[in-house]
Amino acid sequence: MPPRIPGGGCRPQQLLTSLEAPTPSCTLPAPALALRPRQPPTASSSRPLSTTPRCSSKTESTKPPPQLTRVRRKFLDFLEHSSMLRKSKVLKEPTYLSNNVVTRSEGEVVQRDMPFPNNPYFRSQSVLSAVSRERVWSEVMEGGMPIKAVAAKYSVDVRRVTAVVRMMEIEKRWEREGKPLAYAYARSMGHLVPQHNVRAESKFEPINDLHVHSHTMQQLFVPTSESRHFTRADAARAFGEHILPPEARMRIPELVDMERKIAQGVPPPVAGAEFIAAARESEQEIAARNFERARSKEARTVRVQTDRFEFRFEKIDSEAVGPKGRSRTAVGWRYGVPLMDRRRAEVKIPTSMD
Amino acid sequence: MVVKIRLARFGRTNAPFYNIVVAHARTARNSRPLEVIGTYDPIPRKDPYDTSGKLHKDIKLDTLRAQYWIGVGAQPTDTAWRLLSLVGILPPKYPRAGSQQAPSTTQSGTA
Repeated sequence: MPPRIPGGGCRPQQLLTSLEAPTPSCTLPAPALALRPRQPPTASSSRPLSTTPRCSSKTESTKPPPQLTRVRRKFLDFLEHSSMLRKSKVLKEPTYLSNNVVTRSEGEVVQRDMPFPNNPYFRSQSVLSAVSRERVWSEVMEGGMPIKAVAAKYSVDVRRVTAVVRMMEIEKRWEREGKPLAYAYARSMGHLVPQHNVRAESKFEPINDLHVHSHTMQQLFVPTSESRHFTRADAARAFGEHILPPEARMRIPELVDMERKIAQGVPPPVAGAEFIAAARESEQEIAARNFERARSKEARTVRVQTDRFEFRFEKIDSEAVGPKGRSRTAVGWRYGVPLMDRRRAEVKIPTSMD
Repeated sequence: MVVKIRLARFGRTNAPFYNIVVAHARTARNSRPLEVIGTYDPIPRKDPYDTSGKLHKDIKLDTLRAQYWIGVGAQPTDTAWRLLSLVGILPPKYPRAGSQQAPSTTQSGTA
């Protein structure tokens, strides 16, 4: 059992008071980090160890008190003169250290999206603002634009557009149902990260990036005849039978067709309209495929209503286990093969949304 | 040896999941059976995005193989009998005193 603080539950205020030194007479050299008016360095402050009286209490730390080093003095300067610590009435952007510290000691420039000036690898990514999310939702659900077209227009990933639409639908449903929503929490969380407002020209993130399949990372020598027309599809097949060419793997291949048309002399508005039509057609195909899959599953299902539950019997083919009885596509728990669902680094949360 | 149609418990602690199997009666519960003819998830689930709060249980069953094994004399356990009687492969073993008819069955695909 962990050590308890006497007097009931572990409240932060109690924890603070109990961690403080018992009496003022026992407080040793005042902590150097405390905010206090700076005094010019004197002989006594330069050697605090020898001049301050020691306390014989049991709570006294055995560590020597921190010395007033150059870095510490600069930090105290920063705490005193920084505008970050002053309360501003309107927080329009996150108050990072990098908003105040312009350069690091080595002279390297600190970017504005670095919350920690000494860690150039920690970059704070911007998120879509509430207005942007509303606009994306409105274009898809009210305007009836294809998701791919909205993604291309605002340069937001297709997956993010679908996620925004899904979350906004839930939010609006909860508003209709009168559920209390944490607006204040969302607003203050929004002040902690940079916000991005979508506009037709501004880029939020790359939208047509290709996933690099590990099979394509190898160096490969494929002998072909000189006269052969070796295309990207052939190159993909050389890496593996299931590897697709880039144009089949990218998320919005219709954008490539649009650019190709523009390069051939089609006026951009016409090409844009054709792009939207092609995107709409591809999404309708996907929807029809999903609908057909659900319909065929319903056709295989018998629903039996009882007092408590509905039992859904789906008809299956038990021969799918294959001749050795170990097929992966078979129904049921498999025999003779370990189930690795608790292996380390196994992804247990759902990675896709149906 | 008697051939039974019974459930084999898999899954996890507090998260059972059953294979509906055809096996010799004296073999261990989870040993490799003669055939797996289906699965039974006993935990009631909700439909996604469904706000009515109705619960359902998912069962996968190869009805043709079940009928075949019944026809050659396989003996279902009580639980397996109850599941098979729900789809009408067998008559109910313990008909409820109040109800005269079997629970209503709907083939949703044909509707």
